[in-house]
Amino acid sequence: MESLVQSIANGLMMGFIYVLVALGLSLVFSIMRIVQFAHGEIYMLGAYGVYFLCVKLGVPVFAAFVISAIVLALVGIVLERFFFRPFRGDVENSIIVSIGLILLLQTVASVFFGAQGKYIPEFLPGIMSIGSIRLPWERMLAVFAGITITILLFIFIRKTKTGQAMVAVSQDRDGAALQGINVNHISAISMAIGCALAAMAGALMGAIFQIDPAMGGFAMEKGIAVIILGGLGSIVGAVAGGIIIGLIDGIVPVFASTTIAYIIGFALIIIILIIRPKGLLGYE
Amino acid sequence: MKLGRIVSYIVLVIVFFLMPLLLRHNAYYLHVFILCGINVIMAISLRAITTTGQISFGHAGFMSVGAYTSALLVMKLGLSTYAALILGAAAAMAVAAAIAYPITRVRTIYLAMLTLFFGELIRLVFTEWRGLTGGTSGIIGIPPLGTISIPGLATIDFSTKLPYSFFILVLALITILFFYGIERSYVGMTFKSIAQDESLAASIGTNVANFKALVFCISCFFAGLAGGFYAHYNAVLAPDTFGLFPSLYILVYVIVGGRRKFAGAIIGAIVLTLIPEVFRVVKEYQPFVFVALLFLVIFLLRGGLVTLPEQVKIQMEKIHVRKNENA
Repeated sequence: MESLVQSIANGLMMGFIYVLVALGLSLVFSIMRIVQFAHGEIYMLGAYGVYFLCVKLGVPVFAAFVISAIVLALVGIVLERFFFRPFRGDVENSIIVSIGLILLLQTVASVFFGAQGKYIPEFLPGIMSIGSIRLPWERMLAVFAGITITILLFIFIRKTKTGQAMVAVSQDRDGAALQGINVNHISAISMAIGCALAAMAGALMGAIFQIDPAMGGFAMEKGIAVIILGGLGSIVGAVAGGIIIGLIDGIVPVFASTTIAYIIGFALIIIILIIRPKGLLGYE
Repeated sequence: MKLGRIVSYIVLVIVFFLMPLLLRHNAYYLHVFILCGINVIMAISLRAITTTGQISFGHAGFMSVGAYTSALLVMKLGLSTYAALILGAAAAMAVAAAIAYPITRVRTIYLAMLTLFFGELIRLVFTEWRGLTGGTSGIIGIPPLGTISIPGLATIDFSTKLPYSFFILVLALITILFFYGIERSYVGMTFKSIAQDESLAASIGTNVANFKALVFCISCFFAGLAGGFYAHYNAVLAPDTFGLFPSLYILVYVIVGGRRKFAGAIIGAIVLTLIPEVFRVVKEYQPFVFVALLFLVIFLLRGGLVTLPEQVKIQMEKIHVRKNENA
């Protein structure tokens, strides 16, 4: 019984990191309408950014976290402008661009930091225990960050002009342009926010687990799975999807194995893609 | 087809058949040759899927089904390697058939994700099914292809790389002729009509789902065939060989090679298999070269490598015209 509750707790904590990745990815996907498969690499670079700043340069962890996110937001803007914008509408070539970027960014990380795993220090070391349930503070931070960022994003999108402009662009690009929205600016902003989110998720994940150049693939698969489950473009959907997949990944390994947890997750996604590609709460 | 063309194709085939002989003293070159052959089969079969407007990010997964099935049939049931090859390919086709119909209704971006996850699913299943497949460590000691004895002529035994080179060449040739024949036939035209406008094709009576599912299954048959060959050639199998990246690379071969022409997949597979091998000298910086080539092609040659000759022609004409204007 206790291990079940512990695994539920673990699952929820993982789930919120998935939510963070999925939110960033959802922004990029739905507003830019591009196949940004390299999003996982941004996540990975976010973790390495903190590693570089914190472990190599001695910058305090929290500052490293913020700087890394900002730097990657800028990187995202550059990528959008020079790699994705020229191929807007060209499905095939944007796939190649994404794949090329994945290779490029992974190789950059391998070359600069080496291929073995590294560690970044936790922001909040220590474990809180409720009874016999162990809740590491770092993972609680991930949950807290996930919830906070989700709420902030929700408010931003609903209440600010820019946020509403982003919704407009995701619904109808040309219509938004006709309304006077600078679609290119909005694309750049969304990419920046999306990449910052990925970088933060990567840094949080990196503090909990090891970081290595290949960690992006895992994030992408989870991110896409969450988006499909919850529905593209829906923030609430991303949260729901993240929690569900997090719970599967937390509970199933107790009874079977991690691999089977992933198999169940993927099988679920495949079935959803066939039956209801819109996801639980999506609109597209 | 014009006579000149036919002759040049025949010359090309002869050249390809001479290559293993020329390379026979260098096991590494033969290995690269064989890799090219395998990748050509994968690329051509994936290209066939794209002719109906579909896409697959999990093609390597079907290759692995063929590989494991063939290896296990020989090692556990004692079948002949050739029977196992065919059955392995059939198994890959069966797995494809399981999802072929459901995916005909799925839109491109979702299809990409679906096939990606399916490929990963196959890999995870092979990783988890330790009893059958040896898990992450995989299978070792897979028997080589069986000896072929042509009475009175020769006995071909597969103990060196040279026979494998010829075998893969023959397989690749069969694959190329098969898919080229389909593409130029009425069936191929139907595929392209589906890619251009599905509803229009359906409105004139084309059973879109049937055609899409058909090409998907046939394509995966050949992927399984390539996989079976790889199993017996490599003697060792591990699930991670067939993960996401190999699938992505095959897609890159098809798209960067050029989707508009049939030869694009062949050229993409050969050139992009050779690049990493040729640039092995720069070791961990090698992917930069590969990526540079990738970006070069998509920024400068929108249609892919196969459009290089016509682009060169266009540029030459532009220069020619400019010269005449100045004159």
